[in-house]
Amino acid sequence: MDIKKSSSNEKIGGLSIYVMVLGAVAVAFGCADILVWAGFSSGLNLGIIEIAGDDFFRWAWGGLVVLMGGLIMLSGAVDAGEIRQFAKVTLGALMLLMIAGTDIFARLCENIPAGEEAPEFFNSLGGFIGGFAPPYSPAILLLPFVLVIVYLAVKYDGEN
Amino acid sequence: MAGNFISEDERWDLVDRVSGCIVTYGIYRQSLRDVIGELTVVPLTGVPVAMAVLYAFWSIFGSFAGALMTDGFMVKLFDNYWLPWLQSVWPDPDGWLYFLFVGDPTADNCFEAFGMLTSGLFVSLGVVLWAVLIFYLMMTLLEDSGYLPRLAVLVDTLLHKIGLHGYAIVPAILGLGCNVPAVTATRILETRKQRFMMMTLLAIFIPCGAQLGVMLEVIPDSVGWVMLYLIAGFAIFGIVLDKIIPGKNPEILIDVPAYHIPDWNNVGKKLWMRTRGFLKEAVPFVMLGVLLVNLLYLGGVIQAISNFFEPLFVYWFGVPKETAGPLVAAFLRKDLAIAQLSAIPMTAYQMITSVVLISIYFPCVATFVVMLKEGWKQLLASVAVLICVVLVYGGLIHAIGILLGVA
Amino acid sequence: MAEKSKQTKKILMVGNPNVGKSALFNRLTGGEAIVSNYPGTTVDFTRGEFAVGGIFYEVTDVPGTYSLEPRDGAEEVAVSILHKEKDAIVLIVLDATRVERGLYLALEVVERGYSAIIALNMIDEAHDKEISVSASELQRLLGVPVVATSAISGEGIKDLARMTAKACKTDIARINAALEEKPDESVSTGGCGGCMGCGGCGGC
Repeated sequence: MDIKKSSSNEKIGGLSIYVMVLGAVAVAFGCADILVWAGFSSGLNLGIIEIAGDDFFRWAWGGLVVLMGGLIMLSGAVDAGEIRQFAKVTLGALMLLMIAGTDIFARLCENIPAGEEAPEFFNSLGGFIGGFAPPYSPAILLLPFVLVIVYLAVKYDGEN
Repeated sequence: MAGNFISEDERWDLVDRVSGCIVTYGIYRQSLRDVIGELTVVPLTGVPVAMAVLYAFWSIFGSFAGALMTDGFMVKLFDNYWLPWLQSVWPDPDGWLYFLFVGDPTADNCFEAFGMLTSGLFVSLGVVLWAVLIFYLMMTLLEDSGYLPRLAVLVDTLLHKIGLHGYAIVPAILGLGCNVPAVTATRILETRKQRFMMMTLLAIFIPCGAQLGVMLEVIPDSVGWVMLYLIAGFAIFGIVLDKIIPGKNPEILIDVPAYHIPDWNNVGKKLWMRTRGFLKEAVPFVMLGVLLVNLLYLGGVIQAISNFFEPLFVYWFGVPKETAGPLVAAFLRKDLAIAQLSAIPMTAYQMITSVVLISIYFPCVATFVVMLKEGWKQLLASVAVLICVVLVYGGLIHAIGILLGVA
Repeated sequence: MAEKSKQTKKILMVGNPNVGKSALFNRLTGGEAIVSNYPGTTVDFTRGEFAVGGIFYEVTDVPGTYSLEPRDGAEEVAVSILHKEKDAIVLIVLDATRVERGLYLALEVVERGYSAIIALNMIDEAHDKEISVSASELQRLLGVPVVATSAISGEGIKDLARMTAKACKTDIARINAALEEKPDESVSTGGCGGCMGCGGCGGC
């Protein structure tokens, strides 16, 4: 057990920096979601990122979850290899995962059926795939980086 | 007989001696799951997690039931194929059979037609089935993962302010699926006072999944307002009931189980049992509800009720008198009543108020029956509370509307 | 009447909340009791049956309770079922990860003179938590059959069904006596060593 602990000690540096960057970006994205909703901008569109900010539920509530997820990650960033700290990182990552997951699920649900005006029931394959084209919500962009943490957590849980 | 029994202390002493002989503990190592489990009950991290869970719950509900199934497929199927076909093949559009089964011959959608085979089938199979299916799936995940009791610990302090124990959140969440099992689940509460309070508040203020599904379809932009009114009402009348009902509100310890990854067989089995229950019990009720309401319209009963209650509806609640019709249907199925409301022309404020009224007004007949099983005295008391709440809260909402200048 | 009671025996499943009674019930009877991961899932009883060795058992899944002095509505249901079925076999379900509170209930049950059998459930989870519980030692001490089970994986369910026929009565004096004895003496007999004193039970 001691050996294991020291080996994870070496990783602290890298993991901590990774978590800090990811957490800070999440906090920024969360704030942006809420600010756009509050009317500071009439919808933000920067290349592959889009914050529509049009409804309270997705942007104010969902944005708050992204913001708090980022904060919880940041609170676990120092000495992130230690189990109590790593649990915070995992929890923050899971919160971001929930927002990103539901965003993707929403796209999936919207793109399976054809549009309301179209006569047929199912969307064409091209239309379906086209529905997943960018721009994406900030949470979806964070997803790949969040999944790294989730992977580490699952591995950690499996080992113990 | 009683002489054979040992005292509580002696029994615990014996338990200690026996367990000392049989149990050996290894080195305790805290697992990641344990730590995360602790973090989800501490308010500082637990509240954000609860917000995330609620977000995910509602988002998935809306995407699946609303966007995918109902708007994506069912509306098209029922409005473009089923309704025109039925209108074209059913003979005699002026006859009473047409009125009962197909409804309004000029309707172009299944919400407004209001016949047993049009609205009845659309509401039950086109809207509510998908809402309860996804709702039950997510509720099962909450139950089986072990999150529910953690939520109970989290809201414990909050619920104690209205005289309930944190564990009361369990029947409340079950009630969001269906009020029927929720009423039975109030048995896990300790005192008669708590059980009565929770049963009453639940029957009045917790909308069921079927109701939520129709609300999502009929008034997607105002669901938030309706929920706000219901939650506020839950808190206000919780405090009032706590003050006037005698009895204790003791503290108990909540046993928090370890997190588990849900067993998919069990999830599938529960989902199937609950959906089957819906198909067998709710669908016939919706159909019968439409039939009954239509018969009452034909007999002039609903018009008479509307006229009789007109002053109450128009001046006290500030909603059109036609709302009386849906209120009759609400006794059978609340989802049906809300669908029926959508066909009555009214302002956004009036719509929100009538939906709140339908929610807090009489529990549906199935809930009524299980409440009766828990004791007829409690049921009568609940109904008395309910009548007061509807009158007071309905008026209060109207007053708020007037103050805001929207009524 | 005597004929019938020979063929069908009643079993009541009793235990603390959230120890896996309903899951065990479903395993035994193929029933449809609702299983969840929170205490207080079962608030009403569910019935089912199984047959082993030519005997039919009617099993009742009783709501979880911490003691036989009821504290809430679900526990009242549990206690009243026990009161009505004085001759039933009580299957006490213990959570192997925290046996103490379950043992308290088990003692209350045997003091009231029920024929009992114990399922030491969640044995796999106890193993994961590095807690080891000796089923054979518990059997020797209490004098009723004890079977280690896991309702999730199905481990021990068949043994439990077979052993149900050997359920028997015990009392506090016996348990006290067994605690005084040296453990080594009777463990070696294995099987149902602790049950030798209840020969009369085998046929009833």
